[in-house]
Amino acid sequence: MGTNALSRELKRGSTELLILALLEERDRHGYDLARSIGERSRGAISFHAASLYPTLYRLEAKDLVEGRWVEKPGQRRRRYYRLTAAGRRALASQRSIWEDFVGALNRVARIRHASP
Amino acid sequence: MDWQSRIRAVFATSAQVPDDDVVEELAEHARAMYEAMRADGLSHDAAQARLSEQLDLWRADSAALRRPSARLPAPDPPPAAVSSRLAGWAQDVRYGARVLRRQPHYTLLAGVTMALGIAATTQLFSVTYGVLLKPMPWPRSERLLALNETRGGRPPRFGSFSNAAYLAWRETATTVEDVAAWSERTVTLGEPGEPERIRITAASASLFAVLGLRPLIGSFFGEKDEVSAEGPVIVLSEGLWRGRFGGDPGVVGRLVQIDGQPHRVVAVLPDASSYPDRRTRAWVPFRVMPTTGNSLAMFGAIARLRPGATAEQAAAEATRCGRFAADTGMTTTAIFGARGPIEVRAVPLRDALTSDVRQPLVVLLAAVGLLLATATGNVASLQLARATTRRRELAIRAALGAGAGRLARQLVVESLLLGLLGGGSGLALAALLHRPLSSLLPADFPRLADLHVDAMVVLFAAGVSALTGLAFGVLPAWHARRLDLVESLAEDGTAPVGTTGRSPTARARMMIMGGQVALATLLLVAASLLGRSFAALLAADRGYDPAGVLTARLPLPASMYTPPRRQALLEAILDRLRTMPGVAAAGFTSEFPLTPGGSTGAFQIHPPQGEESAVTVQASPRIVSPGYFAALGLPIVAGRGFAESDTETSAPVAIVNRTFARRYLGASPLEARLPMALGHGGEGVEASVIGVVDDVRYVTGSESSLPEIYYSYRQLRGGLDAVVVSLLVRTAGEPGALAPVLRTAVRGEDRALAPDLVMTMEDRVTTSLARPRLYAVVLGGFAALALVVVAVGLLSVVSYTVAQRSRELAVRSALGARPADLVRLVVGQGLAVTGAGLGIGLVAALALSRSMGTLLYAVKPADALTYVGVTVTVASLAAAACAFPARRAARLDPWRALRSR
Repeated sequence: MGTNALSRELKRGSTELLILALLEERDRHGYDLARSIGERSRGAISFHAASLYPTLYRLEAKDLVEGRWVEKPGQRRRRYYRLTAAGRRALASQRSIWEDFVGALNRVARIRHASP
Repeated sequence: MDWQSRIRAVFATSAQVPDDDVVEELAEHARAMYEAMRADGLSHDAAQARLSEQLDLWRADSAALRRPSARLPAPDPPPAAVSSRLAGWAQDVRYGARVLRRQPHYTLLAGVTMALGIAATTQLFSVTYGVLLKPMPWPRSERLLALNETRGGRPPRFGSFSNAAYLAWRETATTVEDVAAWSERTVTLGEPGEPERIRITAASASLFAVLGLRPLIGSFFGEKDEVSAEGPVIVLSEGLWRGRFGGDPGVVGRLVQIDGQPHRVVAVLPDASSYPDRRTRAWVPFRVMPTTGNSLAMFGAIARLRPGATAEQAAAEATRCGRFAADTGMTTTAIFGARGPIEVRAVPLRDALTSDVRQPLVVLLAAVGLLLATATGNVASLQLARATTRRRELAIRAALGAGAGRLARQLVVESLLLGLLGGGSGLALAALLHRPLSSLLPADFPRLADLHVDAMVVLFAAGVSALTGLAFGVLPAWHARRLDLVESLAEDGTAPVGTTGRSPTARARMMIMGGQVALATLLLVAASLLGRSFAALLAADRGYDPAGVLTARLPLPASMYTPPRRQALLEAILDRLRTMPGVAAAGFTSEFPLTPGGSTGAFQIHPPQGEESAVTVQASPRIVSPGYFAALGLPIVAGRGFAESDTETSAPVAIVNRTFARRYLGASPLEARLPMALGHGGEGVEASVIGVVDDVRYVTGSESSLPEIYYSYRQLRGGLDAVVVSLLVRTAGEPGALAPVLRTAVRGEDRALAPDLVMTMEDRVTTSLARPRLYAVVLGGFAALALVVVAVGLLSVVSYTVAQRSRELAVRSALGARPADLVRLVVGQGLAVTGAGLGIGLVAALALSRSMGTLLYAVKPADALTYVGVTVTVASLAAAACAFPARRAARLDPWRALRSR
């Protein structure tokens, strides 16, 4: 597998984790999520907003996030997303899976990385 | 710039158009992107170009831009380790409860449906159990027998056992431990306290031993206290003791006035042991006298079996002993309508007390079972529909490792929870309504005081709830086992075109619906038959005219009034009444015409033709005032009525009714000679028949009319012997308004006289029909409930199929079908199911209604009008229930239907 293909797979699998983690901090709407991911990853993950909304809707269908329309004075209404209790549990679970995965990779392929 | 229109334009050419709120969300995102790029310094064109790239990416992935409309519960994370089976069950219960909480409307609908069904079933079970099944309150009550005597196969007109049979058997009985005699009467309870009419039981001293009773305080009377029928001792009921005497522990030895005669209290009987029921307020001694001459005394009799003996043996022994009883001649004929040796039948006491309500209760229990089945069918159908929409959730769980058995268990647990929820609510509802509903039962309903919501009833409700929960859980669980994972995980939830109606779910729902319609039809037929029967009873021609008549009972006990005094008193009262405004006619009778039986006499006459030998007549003699027939509205069909000129000194006269004339007097009844009434004073005096009056028809007895002879009280030289008479007053206006007038007239002649049972004649008629009315009302209620359940179910099922078939209907519409065609398609399917159910229900009703034959009056079980009416009702209801979903189908926009999920 080429580097590009591998990175694609990794990025795709991590989308959910990214969104859940960002929502853990505070409620966000879709554009806010897309921009935050781009900023935090320092551009390494040029996040295609094309995959943002399908992922969000999937998470909503699985009841891990909850969306609601919010209308602030002077603004158009926007749809904000927040983490549900199930989402928190899923986030914790996915985090530990990632950590195990990276740890295993480390042990096998001796890849060093800085801890977050 | 109108961002939403721009987004819509982008998706106009794509395969899937996102919903409006997704469009709105994407539009806001695009706006934010554009403004951010502009703020970063990009030109308008550069920003638009970048934006277009983004929009193209969205359009390419348009299929994924769909927010699911219903939220599914999150699948459980894979369990780390299920340590015990119990933890698994507990998890299922928790999960099931969560599922039910998330769909509150559905849970409410299903829960209320089940609650109503279970409440009705529990209530009826509590009555049936309390009346028919619960052990009686006396020790070893299964050994108690009720005794019935017949002569020549015919039962007596009143009472059930004669002193002849009683005494013949009692001394030499080996199959029973003892025999007891009892009879009820109504007396006036005087001091201490206000005069009050109460019901008491006169009983032989052996009653207490036979029933195994223990007094609360004091000791029961013995044989020595049976000296005369009005012995000076009395046993009080607990209720009377607490009410009148404040529960005074020193009540033994105190005196109470019964019909003006002092009685000494010897004991108090606990209410729980009351015999024959709790309406009896006291017991007085009663001696069974030997037959002297031709007299026969009739009363009720019970016995307790010796261990090892059977009821049949006891009856046979009593019959054998009865052979040696003296012959009582004409009196036997008078009472039994036949002569012959004594024949005794013995039935268990509980059966005797409840025999006339057994069949109706069983019918009602069966009916409520049908209602419950209908309600269960609705919930089963709803569960099936929900199971279809939950396919994806179940498929995900299956993909995560849940076996088919586990899934099925989960669904069954959910259904059990729903069943128990409905059952718990139903039980609570039944307990709440128990007191008010039981008070609707007629006062003479057997064992009324034994009806409680007790442990047995609660157990029954729990069992029924669990059973129904299982019943409507089985189908979705079975369905889950046949899940096709791949197909279920695909997003599309609607049925592919052309397969609707053949999907197993839809078929199952249709079959359930058909079954429900059949059950509701059965109930409706039964309810209609009973309702028409009751209406016929009400409208039946009784021979007299009950409208506009006020009646009252006047007790004139021997301890307070002599026969001449009674005669004079009644004369004065009638005179007073006739002068009062509003009174059109007034009279009295020694026997009230509402119940058959009563006094009866037998004698021999030579029929007017003279050719045949003497004929034995059994007839009911009645002493009346001349104004009686006018007051009652009983027409004189031949000859004349009693006149003022028929007095003690004029020739004795009598009036007979049509039945008597037809049976015994042939074509010309007038001038026939009959024995004069006892009390006339002469020996062997004959009366001349001066008139024939129409029959009083008894609609609820076994014979519709009895031969009756009427005599005028004015002709009784010895005065009036009857200790109770019934007053009748006819008015053109409202009879109830005459009640105070009547009381004034009575009190005006004698302050101590207290008329009771002051009621209009129509009220008496209605009260006598209390039971048929009860059965008709209850069954009617069940049928109405069942119809509501069926209508709701039909609406739900047809709506479901319309939703499932929306694509198919859209295709048809796009291909040229008119709205009317779509409506016909939808309604046709609904009516087909209804028609099948209706057919089955009608056939079943025809077969089963025969067993109701004895409950019906003037209506045949196969009454055509009823069946036609039921068919029309059910069909109309079905058409109305199909109307809403049909209208929705007609208004379907084919393009939206084809485009949307």
